[in-house]
Amino acid sequence: MNAEARTYQKGEIPGIIGIDADVCKGCDSCKRYCPTGAITGMFGAIHSIDVEKCINCGQCLINCPFGSIYETVDTVDTVIAKLQDKSVTVVGIPAPAVRVAIGEEFGMADGSLVTKEMYGAMRKVGFEILDNNFTADLTIMEEGTEFIVRARHALFGEEAHGHKVGPLPQFTSCCPAWVRYVETKYPSLIPNLSSAKSPQQMAGPLAKTYGALEIWKKPPESIYTVGIMPCTAKKFEASRPEFASAYHFLKKEGKAGSDTPYPDIDTVLTTRDLARLFKKMKIDFTKAGETDGGPLAEYTGAGTIFGNTGGVMEAALRTAYKVLTGNELQPLEFKPVRGMKGVKSASVTLMDTKYGKEVTVNVAVVNGIHGNIEPILEKIMAGTSSYHFIEVMNCPGGCVNGGGQPIKSGGSSWLRAALPLFGWK
Amino acid sequence: MSKNQSWILKHPWSVRSFHYLLVLSFIPLAITGVVLFFKPFDQLTMNLYMRIHVVTGVILTLDAVAYFIIGFTRVIAFVKRSFSFSVNDIKWFSILGGYPQKFLLGKKVPVPPMGKYNSGQKLFGICVLIGGTILIATGWGLWGFPHILPHGMTALFGTLHLVFGWILILFLLVHVFLGIYMFDDFKAMFLHGKIPYEEAKEMAPLWVETEIVKIER
Ligand code: HEM
Ligand code: SF4
Ligand code: SF4
Ligand code: SF4
Repeated sequence: MNAEARTYQKGEIPGIIGIDADVCKGCDSCKRYCPTGAITGMFGAIHSIDVEKCINCGQCLINCPFGSIYETVDTVDTVIAKLQDKSVTVVGIPAPAVRVAIGEEFGMADGSLVTKEMYGAMRKVGFEILDNNFTADLTIMEEGTEFIVRARHALFGEEAHGHKVGPLPQFTSCCPAWVRYVETKYPSLIPNLSSAKSPQQMAGPLAKTYGALEIWKKPPESIYTVGIMPCTAKKFEASRPEFASAYHFLKKEGKAGSDTPYPDIDTVLTTRDLARLFKKMKIDFTKAGETDGGPLAEYTGAGTIFGNTGGVMEAALRTAYKVLTGNELQPLEFKPVRGMKGVKSASVTLMDTKYGKEVTVNVAVVNGIHGNIEPILEKIMAGTSSYHFIEVMNCPGGCVNGGGQPIKSGGSSWLRAALPLFGWK
Repeated sequence: MSKNQSWILKHPWSVRSFHYLLVLSFIPLAITGVVLFFKPFDQLTMNLYMRIHVVTGVILTLDAVAYFIIGFTRVIAFVKRSFSFSVNDIKWFSILGGYPQKFLLGKKVPVPPMGKYNSGQKLFGICVLIGGTILIATGWGLWGFPHILPHGMTALFGTLHLVFGWILILFLLVHVFLGIYMFDDFKAMFLHGKIPYEEAKEMAPLWVETEIVKIER
């Protein structure tokens, strides 16, 4: 069976991450970070990645001490060409975690929040901006309302109109590495994934429909959308063939302007890529000046915590709580789950006013798939899990520690790595 | 060699056994290290070389630590000797100990007087002391916890291990060649520890003059 027949659809990029055999020293570090066992290679021998198992998270890349791991997709030059092409409107969609990391690439202190500077530099090179925080709010509302539907279905047998209701627990679906993990390793749990698109994939259609027609007043086919992400897996997500909603919608309306479908997100730059783009275009990030992002860069605080673990689920639950009870949810008190470093859980008891019944909702946040997720999934499949809503982020610590973030030479992830010491096999 | 030739004990048993273990671990380390660098073989073979490398690395480490404890005074003496310099060393290096002249031109040129170790051996000694320590320390880091140390540190360890690995391997070639060429020295180190008085007087006059005391028998 060939590669695409198994775990990739037509059009998807098979394997975002590769190992440079000339540079690899066979030290075995990468294996200890990989959540899927996709890396093969014996201790002392050249390592390589099985693209069928790889979920493109880039954890191996940011953790290879010798810089042997690289991204196979680099579109910095393509984006520069688009920016210089006056007939194209390039829309940058920066994710929450980018603005706390990109400063590092320009010598600013780790973790500096540089939203306005980032907008400034993006504007200077010619981007229009659609802040991903804006669509993060949308994802949260979608996931929150979907959870209400699923919970009422599970608890009170309520049916939804016109579609099948997914089972509980509901998983978040905004992390494309996690989604591919479920698809390739636990396909029977695909229905548990929220049907909401990730913020990036909501932003693309928004830019090509509402943004194109109402804000920038440009033909939709001339909009070039660039996800700016802390994440290598987002490059893969953007290539999924089902994400051409703007085209199909516009086609029906007679406004598509083209007979070949165009993707919702044309390309993705990682935080590192964006920094490289600024450097290539001779933009001094620290001196670019601060600006506002424009009309599509307004957002609530909820989306901002998207980049932190627990952020999505808590915000979605807040939405659900408000809808169900009419009140504001107090901040959740998460407790670490015993025996699992990267898992925390909480419960909320609330009154569903529609049914007049008290309901206790158990939620969990999985911070890093590696070493954490399997026992939880096994319990769910055995029907013994007590959770109703689970946020899963592939990367330890969430997107701030994503595979597209600046590589820290001083960084040590000793708390997060799987522990085998002293390589042998 | 006449029967009543005098002998000097150059390498006592402790030094000789340390050196044996050193040879037994260093040569496989050097060979496997070169293989690890060029990565010419398949997975299983590379893994085997790596295993030999780390196992002999452990032997080398144990050997060095044990000698440091048991032969502490010898280590101190070796350090002192290796780090004592005089103008003679400059003169020695300017003619490279007279070896190239001897091997390439077949000429014997006057060589400045040397101590127990000549300038080249002292330099080798310094490299072994510093480089060996660095190789051992970085080797353990690279083997045990490359993923746990800060990445920059692992990378630096990798570079240091590579650079000092090559320095010692290249030096080793010269050392082995000269060690066997000076056959009396070779026998002293590998067999009985002693070298003929006359030989020592020629090769290491300062040592013989200042440190060697004649014992009447
Ligand atoms: C003293 C003699 C030694 C020599 C001449 C030596 C030489 C080398 C060389 C040339 C390499 C290849 C480096 C590269 O490809 O960048 C290497 C790699 C390695 N050595 Fe050694 N080595 C020595 C001692 C040790 C010791 C004592 C240990 C551990 C106990 C050790 C552990 C390793 C490891 C784990 C690697 C793997 C490559 C890497 O991660 O960079 N070595 N060595
Ligand atoms: S961490 Fe890097 S150098 Fe080490 S085995 Fe993996 S790819 Fe090779
Ligand atoms: S990108 Fe992620 S899944 Fe793929 S090999 Fe690297 S660590 Fe494993
Ligand atoms: S946790 Fe965030 S950065 Fe990591 S793979 Fe998922 S979406 Fe990407």
